[in-house]
Parts: sequence; structure tokens; C-alpha cells
Amino acid sequence: MKILEVKNLNVSFDDEKAIEDLSFSLNEGEFLVILGPNGAGKSTLLKTLLGLVPYEGSIRWKEGVHFGYVPSEFVVPENFALSLREFFQFKNLPHEKIFQSLELVGIKASENFLEKRLDTFSTGQLKRILIAWAMADNPDVLLLDEPMLYIDIHGRETIYDSLVSIWQTKNQSIVLVSHEVGEISRKIDKILALNKRKLFYGRPEDIINPQNLAKIYGSPTFS
Amino acid sequence: MDLQLFHSLIAGIFIGGVAGYLGSLMITKRMALVGDALSHVALPGVALALIYGINVSLGALPALFLGILLIWLLEMKTKLPMEALTGIVFTASIAIAFLFLPEEKVSTALIGDISQVNFFDALISIILGIVTWFVLRRIFPKLILANLSEDLAKVEHIKVEKYNFIYLVCIALVVALGIKVTGSLLMGALVITPAAAARNFAKNLFQYSYGALLMGIISCVLGILAFRIFALPAGPLIILIASLIFGLSLLFKKQ
Repeated sequence: MKILEVKNLNVSFDDEKAIEDLSFSLNEGEFLVILGPNGAGKSTLLKTLLGLVPYEGSIRWKEGVHFGYVPSEFVVPENFALSLREFFQFKNLPHEKIFQSLELVGIKASENFLEKRLDTFSTGQLKRILIAWAMADNPDVLLLDEPMLYIDIHGRETIYDSLVSIWQTKNQSIVLVSHEVGEISRKIDKILALNKRKLFYGRPEDIINPQNLAKIYGSPTFS
Repeated sequence: MDLQLFHSLIAGIFIGGVAGYLGSLMITKRMALVGDALSHVALPGVALALIYGINVSLGALPALFLGILLIWLLEMKTKLPMEALTGIVFTASIAIAFLFLPEEKVSTALIGDISQVNFFDALISIILGIVTWFVLRRIFPKLILANLSEDLAKVEHIKVEKYNFIYLVCIALVVALGIKVTGSLLMGALVITPAAAARNFAKNLFQYSYGALLMGIISCVLGILAFRIFALPAGPLIILIASLIFGLSLLFKKQ
């Protein structure tokens, strides 16, 4: 059953096209990776799907759908007095739910751990915390914008594993934006390769091959 | 305790508390100097209130709302940075105020006069202080989340523009209240200094915001008591005590 249907989507900033005539759909429980080089309009597409950017065309979500979002930019200022417990309290979550969510991203938290300030975590830990936060209130769709950015290879594997585990445990739809083909591409349902326009859309095994990758990354358009 | 001191302390407790609490949010949003600039925008209203013998806070409020409206309109019309427009409006406000502010009222307008606080002022401070604190408490987590990521806040159905507007109204209210205690020259410090002190030792948001509230109250109470003992102006004494607390808080700051 479809949870999202996008038809003839166009997004422009100051007369410059960011997304051109894009159509695709997402089924319930499906894992979609939006792939493309820098400047291809991937993050813009994610923000447009979330209603954060004006657009032309049609975006139809299943009625009453609830989102979990992990933005690419999430900077905690230095000396920012906000504990992990307080961060989760923004969502009014019961105590055990916080522990469960953190465990799904590989963080075994104690009461003392929850008292740690957000500005004391590493970038990788913070990304996992954000994923836990985004999915803590059981969204129907989890949308993640480049969660692997600025993370080392080991950290990326942990995040990939967490996402696949969440997907398999919770049966949520997941939309992941990435500028590179990672290990995760072998485990997901669909890939949408984008460079302002749709380049490829389908199963990873049909898309991930040297010729197609050259087409996706070989000639980025910046005009 | 005489009635006048009681009124002053009540006003100081409620105004100092809410100013400190607001300050914790303003520092987080990197708007520490906005309170300072806005207190100057209030000066023409303060001057009129002093001339006609009405409550200074009531005189300051319309001037503040007019100033905020003017800055907002100019920003839409000129697309100049907000800080530049605030600079233009607040200096123009000072210039206007000094055209008709009587010389004997200058000191009261600039550094306040706690000895003029009466029952009505104390009552206004209690009511507006509690209402503003209550509103701020409701919008606090939403604005903190928006400060971390505006997109994330919007996805969580937080109407960021609406809450920013409510926040600006709260700043105007607190500045209008505080002008009675510290005057327009020092009001900015009543917002910034207690919150900056609390930030030095706070381990979480609760300690930070309520630490700032407590520091604001302590500064005002000690400042008013010192005013009674030493017969020096209360406004500067309150700010000096707040600065002293800030200095002490540096000892607790984690390296």
C-alpha cells in the first residue's frame, strides 16, 4: 500500500531549478535511498516532502502520516546546558521509551548517561541520538538527511546497522538521503538516483553497476 | 519593614526573576544585546510617563511596541540586517527622548528609581511577572528546539514564527517592567548578567533557566537592601551585585 505518491514535482530557488519533473512513490514499510552527487537536490527533495520548501506539482502522503526527521545540520552550541533527558522530554516520552529508542541505535543508556549534556557527545554519538529521538514516538516514516556525514567508517557501519535493525524491528518506511553508495544499498528496497531530474529508480541490484554509477556521479550539473 | 521597602522588594523579586528567566533564553538565542537596545527604544515613553506622573512601565510599553513594529516594517522594506535597524531606531529613540526629557528626570529615566515603586507598581509586577514567566515556560522548549534546528522544530509541528513573535512580546513586557527598577541604561544587564552567571554552573536546562531566575531575584533583593543601607541608587547597586555573582560563578565554571 502506498504511503507517498509524488507526481511532476518541481522546486526552484530564485529561478534556478533544484528539482525538475520528479515522480516516484513509496510503499508502507519500504526503505528508499535517495542517491546523487552534491548539489543534486537530495536534501531539497527531503525538505519538500516534509513541507518545508514551496513546490509545484503533487505530493500526496497517506492521511494522518507521522514523520520522524533527522536533519543533516544539527549543531549543539558549546556550553549549551541541555541534558539528554531534557532533549527527549521535548517529545513528552515515558522514561522506558527513551531507553528503548537509544538501545535500538546501539546505546545502552543508564540514568547517569541521560544526565550528560548534549554538547559533550561526539558527532557520531549525536547522530545516533538524533535517530533515536526521531523514531522514539513511532513515526510512520523516518526521513534522514545524510546521517553519515562527518562520520568515520566504523561510525557509519554502526549507523547503517542501527537503521536496518530499526527497519526490520519496527516495519517503518525509511527515506534516507546519501551522496554515496554505502553497504546499506545491498539491504534496502529501492534507490532513487537523482541529479535534479530522476536518473534511475528501482531495485538496488538493477541500479548499482559501474555504468550507472558513472552516469550518476560522472557529470554533475551545477547550472 | 516599612511599606515602601516591601513594595520595592516585591517588585524586585518578580521583575528580577522573570528577567533572569528570559535572559537564559535570550543568551541561548544569541540575542543578549537586544534587551539592552530595546530598553533604549522605550525611552520616549518613559520620558512622557515621568513628565505626566504615570507608571513608567505603562509609558514604556507603547514605545516598545511602536519601536518593534518600526524595526519589523523597516526590515521588510529595506532588507537591511535587523541589528542595523535596531541600532537606528534605538539611537533615534534616545535622541527624541532627550528633546523633551526634563533635566531633573534624566537620572530616573536612565538608572531607575526604586523609591517610587508603590502598591500599584508592585501589583503590576506580580501579575505581569507571573503571566510572562508562565508564557515563557510554555514556549521555552519549543524555542530551544527551534534554536537547535528550525527544520526539526517545524517537522514537530512547532509554529516557529508564532512563538518567535510571542517571545518578542515577552521581551517587551519584561523590559517595560524592568525599566522601573534599573532604568533604561541598565535594564539590559538585568536580563543578561544573571543568566550568564547561571550558564557557568548549570548542568542542564532546568538548572540554567531557574538558576538565572534565582540569580535575578537575589541581585534585586540584595541591591534594594544595599540601597536602603548605603543610600546609593538602587539600579546600579542591583547590576553591580549581579556582576559580582557573575564573577563568583566563574569559580564554578568547568574548564
